[in-house]
Amino acid sequence: MTATYDATAAMEIVNAHAPGAACVDDGVLFLEPERLVESVQSLRDSGESDLVFLCNLTAVDQELHFEVVYHLQSLDLNHILQIKARVTDREDPAVPSLTGLFYGAHLQEREVYDLFGIRFEGHPDLRRMFLWEGFPGYPLRKDFLQMPGQVRAGLPGFPHESEENAWPVPGSVPQRPMHPNDPQPEGDLVVAEESEESS
Amino acid sequence: MTTADDTQLAMQGTIEALTTGDGSEPVVVNLGPQHPSTHGVFRLKVTLDGEIVQDAEMRIGYLHRSMEKLAEERTYTQNIPFTDRIDYLAAMSNNLAYCLAAEELLGIEVPPRAQAIRVMFAELQRVASHAMANGTFINDCGAWHTPLFYMFRDRERVLDMFEMTCGARLTTNYMRIGGVAFDLPDELLPTLESFLADMPDRIADYEALLMENEILHARARGVGVISPEMAINSSLSGPVLRATGVPWDLRKANPYCGYENYEFDVPVGEQGDCFDRFLVRMAEVKESLKILRQVVDTLPDGPWLADVPLHARPEPGEAYARVESPRGELGFYLVSDGGPAPYRFHCRPPSLINLTALKEMSVGGTLADAIVTLGSIDIVVGEIDR
Repeated sequence: MTATYDATAAMEIVNAHAPGAACVDDGVLFLEPERLVESVQSLRDSGESDLVFLCNLTAVDQELHFEVVYHLQSLDLNHILQIKARVTDREDPAVPSLTGLFYGAHLQEREVYDLFGIRFEGHPDLRRMFLWEGFPGYPLRKDFLQMPGQVRAGLPGFPHESEENAWPVPGSVPQRPMHPNDPQPEGDLVVAEESEESS
Repeated sequence: MTTADDTQLAMQGTIEALTTGDGSEPVVVNLGPQHPSTHGVFRLKVTLDGEIVQDAEMRIGYLHRSMEKLAEERTYTQNIPFTDRIDYLAAMSNNLAYCLAAEELLGIEVPPRAQAIRVMFAELQRVASHAMANGTFINDCGAWHTPLFYMFRDRERVLDMFEMTCGARLTTNYMRIGGVAFDLPDELLPTLESFLADMPDRIADYEALLMENEILHARARGVGVISPEMAINSSLSGPVLRATGVPWDLRKANPYCGYENYEFDVPVGEQGDCFDRFLVRMAEVKESLKILRQVVDTLPDGPWLADVPLHARPEPGEAYARVESPRGELGFYLVSDGGPAPYRFHCRPPSLINLTALKEMSVGGTLADAIVTLGSIDIVVGEIDR
């Protein structure tokens, strides 16, 4: 059975090489983005942790910041460690690229860049992968295509689960701005107001 | 005025330039988006010097359906059909990996019968998927469709078993959070018995046909080689990694659904070339049949679905669960914010990550070898693009 590598032990390995670059919060190892490469390198090359296999690389939009999530695996010692790096700059988010350490990060970092807009500094070929160059926005961000009226995408709740989780009543939520060609609601006074002003 | 002599001289110069390489320019060839070797809508842009590949760059995204965004707006149960469409040649494995991740978030125990049924269908899916992979691989090597249709004959029997159990052949949607959707129908076990009885002879036939096949050796031996160190550094998994000699199989390393109770071996290759990948897949089919035999013999009785509330709403947290899918390590990373839908839904696609090393494998070889290499990685474009 694959064990979960102890985050505190990993923090000690990182801090021996890059003092203060790692901290543990709620059992999760957080690395400082500026010193990510040397921190991960110490975890990869240390005989105790031996995290030579980059399983998974992805990101999560936590609204106020981004979290880049890495899952590293040791094949010989059979343990896995989850690492996170927090990126607070939402305008131009960037973290160092791990392609120098793991060749397998190439496509995964490109995918995160494509869908989250997080730049990986030092990546040799950082281009959009699924979408084309010039595609407006980054779809997996939570504010992509934000709807008017503070309506958030996603499920409000299960239908009929409770009053506050009920589905929005059709018409109560502004779906999109009204178009002049849309059928106007009953009792529309736009024309009447204009005629009053002219008279 | 151009005379016949001038024309002849110019032609001679062109031929010289082409044969010696003097003054010639690299040629860019697009394989795809529609090309028989790409098994889907996938484009490989190859830069050629004569017939030698100088650079291989892939262009993907033609099948991007934005699954990860869509999944954020559907409940945990509603997301199960999406996972079928991620890897449509191994839908059962994808169902399983997603359900394991959701169960880890919700803290659900799966009944023993459901676990055995899950192992049964995951292994049947591996037989079907490897049949497809090996058949199309040999097709790419130039054996025009004959082995492919032998392999399809077996795959068809597996798909028939899927159909009698859950009503669908490819997009099965069979696993549920907490178990499986339906119990086994009465006619499944006799069908599976006859399948298990027939398969050893079939595999012996294929081995007699293919293992010593001179053309297959000429096309696949020593082609697309990758070293074990490079394979690990490139995050390769599945048969591509095991063909380099690294015995890494998540069914052994991190057993799920009770794989620790079944006896099987992890076949590995020696040279890490295309032929070894083919051999590993052939051997894995035999191991899967071994597991299936044990599952049928020890199938427990009892419920096949745990008592899971329909409105499952996990505590805030995250889970990363993975299985050994036919293509490699298939993982699902789910983040919950306490709501009815996942806050983040990420699939770790083995097909995409195995393609990382395609350039390493094909640069320096011929264009024909690049096609064989691509076939040996066994990609599914639905999983690459999602």
